[in-house]
Amino acid sequence: MQVRKTNYQVNATPRLQVLTEDAIEAIYYASLRVLYETGVRVYEKEGVEVAHAGGAIVEETTEDSSLVKIPHYMVDKARSTVPSKVVVTGPDRQYRMELFKNQIYFGGGSDTPYTIDPYTGERRRATYQDVKNCARVAQALPNYDFHMSLGITQDTAVGTYDRWQYLAMLEGTSKPINITAVDLEGVRDQLEMAYIRVGGKEEWKKGPIFSLYIEPVSPLSHSKEVVQKLLFACDHDIPFVYTPCPLAGATAPTTLAGLLVQALAESLFGIVISQLRKPGSQLIIGGLMSNMDMLSTIYCYGSPEMALLSAAYTDITKWLRVPEYETAGCSDAKLFDEQAAMEAAINISTAGLVGGNMIHDVGYLDSGLTSSIELMVASDEIIGMIKRILQGIPVNGETMALDVMKEVGPGGHFLEHDHTYNRFKTEIWQPKLIDRQNWENWQMAGSKSYGQRVHERVIEILEAETEPLLDDAMFKELRRVCELADERHKGEELDVKMFG
Amino acid sequence: MSEVLTSISNAIIQGKKDDIGELTQKALDEGQSAQDILYKGLMPGMDHVSDKFKAGDMFVPEVMRSARSMANSMKILKPLLIETGVAMIGKVLLGTVKGDLHDIGKNLVGMMCEGAGFEVKDLGISVEPEAFVEAVKEFEPDIVGMSALLTTTMRSMGDTIKALEEAGVRDRVKVMIGGAPVNQSFADKIGADAYAPDAAAASDVAKKLVKKS
Repeated sequence: MQVRKTNYQVNATPRLQVLTEDAIEAIYYASLRVLYETGVRVYEKEGVEVAHAGGAIVEETTEDSSLVKIPHYMVDKARSTVPSKVVVTGPDRQYRMELFKNQIYFGGGSDTPYTIDPYTGERRRATYQDVKNCARVAQALPNYDFHMSLGITQDTAVGTYDRWQYLAMLEGTSKPINITAVDLEGVRDQLEMAYIRVGGKEEWKKGPIFSLYIEPVSPLSHSKEVVQKLLFACDHDIPFVYTPCPLAGATAPTTLAGLLVQALAESLFGIVISQLRKPGSQLIIGGLMSNMDMLSTIYCYGSPEMALLSAAYTDITKWLRVPEYETAGCSDAKLFDEQAAMEAAINISTAGLVGGNMIHDVGYLDSGLTSSIELMVASDEIIGMIKRILQGIPVNGETMALDVMKEVGPGGHFLEHDHTYNRFKTEIWQPKLIDRQNWENWQMAGSKSYGQRVHERVIEILEAETEPLLDDAMFKELRRVCELADERHKGEELDVKMFG
Repeated sequence: MSEVLTSISNAIIQGKKDDIGELTQKALDEGQSAQDILYKGLMPGMDHVSDKFKAGDMFVPEVMRSARSMANSMKILKPLLIETGVAMIGKVLLGTVKGDLHDIGKNLVGMMCEGAGFEVKDLGISVEPEAFVEAVKEFEPDIVGMSALLTTTMRSMGDTIKALEEAGVRDRVKVMIGGAPVNQSFADKIGADAYAPDAAAASDVAKKLVKKS
């Protein structure tokens, strides 16, 4: 066969790239200078020791912290062992995240103090039942790949709520979970719960069923709790998210490039310490970076800068070959309203197009203070749309359909052609909640706005009968871990009604 | 219910347009009447399709395939039905009105009506009022369906109705209109008998119109 076509390139998917390789390298080498010249403050002695033993310079040691300066060769060494891929699965292995370059997974955000009551629309403190409800909705949404609590269980004890929160999530979903922990003991208890759920430590090693959320403090500070959790995670094969949340103009330079340099230095410290502790320790570096609103002082979750920074950081992590924690599906609106839909659509599209790995915070309103099941459900459809766009347009003989066009001819129609019949379902995305009816049918269906339809779907999901994910014996065993934690902390201030 | 009639219903639902002829013949060979095949095989299948379509569980290309299957079966049954004097559900005359070349919506209406058991004659695009009149005399439809996409051509619908009146045949037919720019109040204004917002509604409206007359 004679080949005539040469130098033919295709985009299997549409592409978005914010930073060039040169810009990424400039940022990376700038981060290395920050680590070496400015250093980071570490508030945990063991962490300081690990760094020091690995070659770090330790200065300005006070009673509770030290300034740690990392020479660049330590970063190079750490990069040679940090995994380029992290896997987190659901307990029954049906759901699975393979986090590496250009793979996208969407999921919720963590501990919001408030939630919007799905029935009354009232903003109130989140409870165990709310966390369980969010998990059940996560389970029902096809484009939702992993879960985070989307609420703090505030009807359980303050010092041990994290275990109860995990239990509530396990009751509602069998998708991979990104947990938070009050402290090291909280991680330990939740790991024990995970062993129970997945069937033991060996099963965990075959595929961890949660990742641990760890958040260093910007600028350039790594607290006691953070470093303890990091070291524990390394020791126990727990994949962990290491995500600073720098705020342009407040806890990071106002220039976005400066923020990226700082955020990367903060994450690189996590990479260095973890690889010193145990080569091969699994990190997902992030991923939540934005600007402070200079009128209200809030942390912006819906700003274009948030989407742009996340996308740029994705470019950096692709170059680094480290899985990334990304942010989308969130808004600064107080309700699930037009602003929420608009901001979520923009940041979901950007995150999807650039290819962030573990894209979290779907369902966040109110600058991360309030969760909304309605925003979760609405975002599921936005994710569906962006996934369709990401399928791109394959161009070949069959898809260009010259024969079909010839057959139908001028003035004919394609509705009845086999080519249409065989392909319309895979070629054309069909929405579930978006309305495309004509006016009359829309009117007959009750003249409902998108918000009303989303609300109805939320109630439908919440009221659907579903098989319990945990049998009685397992539920009791998991609950026992939570109760024992409460028991241990009995003497402490455990006012479950602290918020009145 | 006979097995062969059930399989005819299923063939309609699954849009087996190439197998339905053989199945229809098989049913006749087994002694089923054309009337039973129509009313106990084809129609229940199409009703099911229509319900699924309205519920959003079936899509236009699938419905069209079911309708095509129905039409293929009707090709065999029609002469037999006429022979035995069984009334068809009705006849529909369709056309895009004068000055308008848009016909995808009208074609959909035609397929849906065929699927509902109507005999459909399609005059095509840019049909002059006089051509509608001639076809009414010749084809003797129960329903005249007119379509337009443009606000500039929707007025031809009124002209066509006037032409039918002037020719003295307006009373013999029900007039149904559709198309993006028209609505119920426009239908009322020009003296049409019915308006349908989409193809699925059109076949329902057509069924109601023939029941009334």
